Amino acid sequence: MNSQRLMALLVAIIISAPLLLPDGQGIGLVNAILIWSIFVIGFDLVFGVAGMLSFGHAAFFGVGAYTLSLLTMRMGWEFIPSLGAAGVVGGALALVFSYFAIRVSGLFFALLTLALSQLIYIMAGTKLRMLTGGVDGIAGVPRPDLFGIDFYDDGNYYFFLLALFILALLISGLIRISPLGQALKAIKSNEVRAEQIGFNVQRLRRSVFTISGVFAGVSGGLLASLIFYVGPQMLHWTTSGDVVIMVLLGGMGTLFGPILGVAIFEFMREWLSTQTSHWYGILGLIFIICTIGMPKGIAGLITQLWDRIMPGGKS
Amino acid sequence: MSTIVIGLSMGMLLFLLAAGLTLIFGMLRVINFAHGSLYMLGAYLSFQMVNLTGSFWVGLAVAPMIAAIVGALMERIALRPVYDRDHVYQLLLTFGFILVLDEAVRIIWGLEYKQMYPPELFSGAIEMFGSSVPSYRLFIIGFGAAISAALFFMLDRSRYGMIIRAASGDPEMARTLGINVSLVRTGVFSFGAGLAALGGAAAGPLFPIELGMGFNIIIDSFIVVIIGGLGNIRGAVMAALLIGMTRALGYSYAPSWVDFLTFILLIGTLILRPEGLFSRKGRTA
Amino acid sequence: MNIVKSTILGAACAALIGGAGAFPAYADEPEAFKIGAVLPFSGPYGIIGKGMKQGAQLAIEMRGGKVLGKPVEVTWEDSETKPQPAVQKATRLISSGAQMIFGAASSASTAALQGITEQRKIPLLVTISADDKITRANGYHYTFRTSNTLGMEIRMAMEYTKAAGLKKIYAVGADYAVTRDGLEAYSAAAKEAGIEIIGVDFAPLGNRDYSVIIDKIAKTDADGVVLIVTGSDGVTFLKQAGQAGLGKTKTLFGPVLQDEVLAAAVGPDAVGAASGVRYHYSVDNPANKAFVEAYRAKFNEWPDSFAGEAFDGMSWFLDIVDGTGSWDREKWVTAFEGSVRENSVEGRKEMRACDHQALQVGLWGVVEKGEAPYPDLRMKITNIFQPEALFPECAE
Repeated sequence: MNSQRLMALLVAIIISAPLLLPDGQGIGLVNAILIWSIFVIGFDLVFGVAGMLSFGHAAFFGVGAYTLSLLTMRMGWEFIPSLGAAGVVGGALALVFSYFAIRVSGLFFALLTLALSQLIYIMAGTKLRMLTGGVDGIAGVPRPDLFGIDFYDDGNYYFFLLALFILALLISGLIRISPLGQALKAIKSNEVRAEQIGFNVQRLRRSVFTISGVFAGVSGGLLASLIFYVGPQMLHWTTSGDVVIMVLLGGMGTLFGPILGVAIFEFMREWLSTQTSHWYGILGLIFIICTIGMPKGIAGLITQLWDRIMPGGKS
Repeated sequence: MSTIVIGLSMGMLLFLLAAGLTLIFGMLRVINFAHGSLYMLGAYLSFQMVNLTGSFWVGLAVAPMIAAIVGALMERIALRPVYDRDHVYQLLLTFGFILVLDEAVRIIWGLEYKQMYPPELFSGAIEMFGSSVPSYRLFIIGFGAAISAALFFMLDRSRYGMIIRAASGDPEMARTLGINVSLVRTGVFSFGAGLAALGGAAAGPLFPIELGMGFNIIIDSFIVVIIGGLGNIRGAVMAALLIGMTRALGYSYAPSWVDFLTFILLIGTLILRPEGLFSRKGRTA
Repeated sequence: MNIVKSTILGAACAALIGGAGAFPAYADEPEAFKIGAVLPFSGPYGIIGKGMKQGAQLAIEMRGGKVLGKPVEVTWEDSETKPQPAVQKATRLISSGAQMIFGAASSASTAALQGITEQRKIPLLVTISADDKITRANGYHYTFRTSNTLGMEIRMAMEYTKAAGLKKIYAVGADYAVTRDGLEAYSAAAKEAGIEIIGVDFAPLGNRDYSVIIDKIAKTDADGVVLIVTGSDGVTFLKQAGQAGLGKTKTLFGPVLQDEVLAAAVGPDAVGAASGVRYHYSVDNPANKAFVEAYRAKFNEWPDSFAGEAFDGMSWFLDIVDGTGSWDREKWVTAFEGSVRENSVEGRKEMRACDHQALQVGLWGVVEKGEAPYPDLRMKITNIFQPEALFPECAE
């Protein structure tokens, strides 16, 4: 057993909490964790693996949510094809963004993605209101209707989300060890050298950005169906900010770390907010302390602790 | 004609809001996401000063000083440990400060809206070109111009400016020349925070003072900084005026498209000239 | 640094895993009447949550803290004015046995809550969100709104336009669906009444600078300006209009332009602005007098419109529940439909069965200078419009 496996175990415990606890307690929380996890798993491919800080992922997330809602509610599509379409649209928008944004790097990339997604936010709230319901959003987003199972029950929906979560985790894991993942890591550590070796840096970056857009789109669609609602708040840049916080808290560039970040973030929202209305400020403090003291997040902390407990057990 | 005067005042106000951000951005390469929160802090502090002393001018002078201390603390405690890491970490830290500063303001001043009025001297309206222009708007134009001139002089012409530019351009070299680089960094961040608060104090009489006010201006400020070019004070002035005029015209003819127009300007700049429309670097490089 | 971060994160992790077990267990036999309140307490809208909480608390207290012979238990949750946390928390409240949901404040959060309450067949009491879609004919079976709708407030603005004898109107709206619809309805009614709309501008929501629009309006011969904006947008407009002296020549009014909280934010420039009022402590009836007295004794402040509406809705709903003598939620819904409350703090209210919207009078007021013990700027109720003029027939 190594620290990777320890983290996997932690994640497994968290996501299986509804099965372990009596009466399926905490199910609403875990469902939200599963959905946001799909988002951060994809986001970390861009942020952690490829080293690009995007402040625009809220756009893909929100657009996915609107796609699913409109297709199921207005066009009468089935849920699963609509969810697929949410991913496709999220990915397509990411591809469009990447044509503008990949040409610049570093801070400019962050600002340009922020600006582009803010443009989508403004459009959704005003000019596209016939489609989006404007600032008030669209209520009554459905859940899947499959095999005669009642997914409106959170306990059943949990299994649906769990299946998608595992799928997302597998895909992301495969991408990480694939030639694409390796190439992106090489680019992150030294862009110039990677280019000299013969990698097409732009194209690789564009691919991973698009893939993460698909993850974000699917996750947005799922969130809309979880809360039966979609609104422009999902497109706001603070949503992108929340995701960055989650990934950084958990540990960027690791497969399981960001999921732990989501779990902590959502748990604080659920639990700390009942204790104090100042929870966002406390979250900010924790975030600052972690960013300074622990750039590798919880994943880094666990690895460190593990190495200390089992000095020889490094695998 | 009056549209031009108003556009000018909107532009100068935008410049006042963005000046602190562009300074920190240019000199430290840090995108200060907490800029909006410092702006809000400035407005609240200024409100508090007006309440205590009854004078707008005291607020305008003291609020930036307190915010500058807050800025210096932020830099010392949080940013200093991460200068040798990727710039991304500095950006993220300032993001964390949004949450902390907003919470602090909420704890100190509560949830109610606060209000401030223009000083006696600028409380009326002046008849100009067939409309009545609030004289506080004219004050904003003059004040913005004065601040931009002062900044320009300080950074481009004075000894302090030279030291700051040396420290930001090549920290190692500056160190060997005996410049205390870390002190300069603290100073610049603190000064930028003070400028943000100055913007808040100046904007206080025009907008409601409330907890969401920082979120409203941070994007505006980014836009000014990007279009003007990184840390380019002259560029920021030009960009602010350009946006102010665009908006003023937009409001005259198609108000609901104003935000959209601004973003088109921004995205166009980022695509065509990421270094900024008014950047000299682009031409010499 | 290592120790600090290890401790904090260790604690967080432990709490995370341990805390998952701390959710309250579901009880079959209700030993308490559980209310799940989902209101904004953090963020800029926190002030709404505070007023609503105080109003609802008082409603429960004034009935001895009991419903159906059992103690009332309220769990207050923070919606952050965002739909996701609102729904998440409502879901948890319902699974831990909440008999009803109270909230939310913003129409977006309320619309999101309606999805879950319909699904779980739990009554949702709305006392502030004004979007007309929340109560629509044959719409949401479990949603009841005891407060105003935006549509009714816009009709009040029209009634006021006529009553004040305004002939030429300039219209300014925030640019989103509800206000655009509202302005359309207003324009149509204006046409019928022979009132001319001489200009219309939509400014982006969260607009920061109205000076150009104000200058434009100043140059017209409009005698009134209708402002379909709310919250800080309205404050910004009135502040900037005051500096340009717009209010000296034109009447500024709007359906949800001002209340005492917002007037305090504008300052003296608010004086003379007219607006629809959701609830006001000066309404002269015994129920309101008793409420205001109790409220001032408990919280040492005047109840704002959020508190008054919350008090009114909560008292009404709990009376209905008590009246059925049953724990069957369907019975509550049936009893609430068509129920009439003669002695509400705002006068007579009637819960319309077809759309679950309370018919009520509309209060209209103007901002004036107040003297102690009143706030410096207070709303003076100038018109009371009857429900017949404010609510259209319940149609599909």
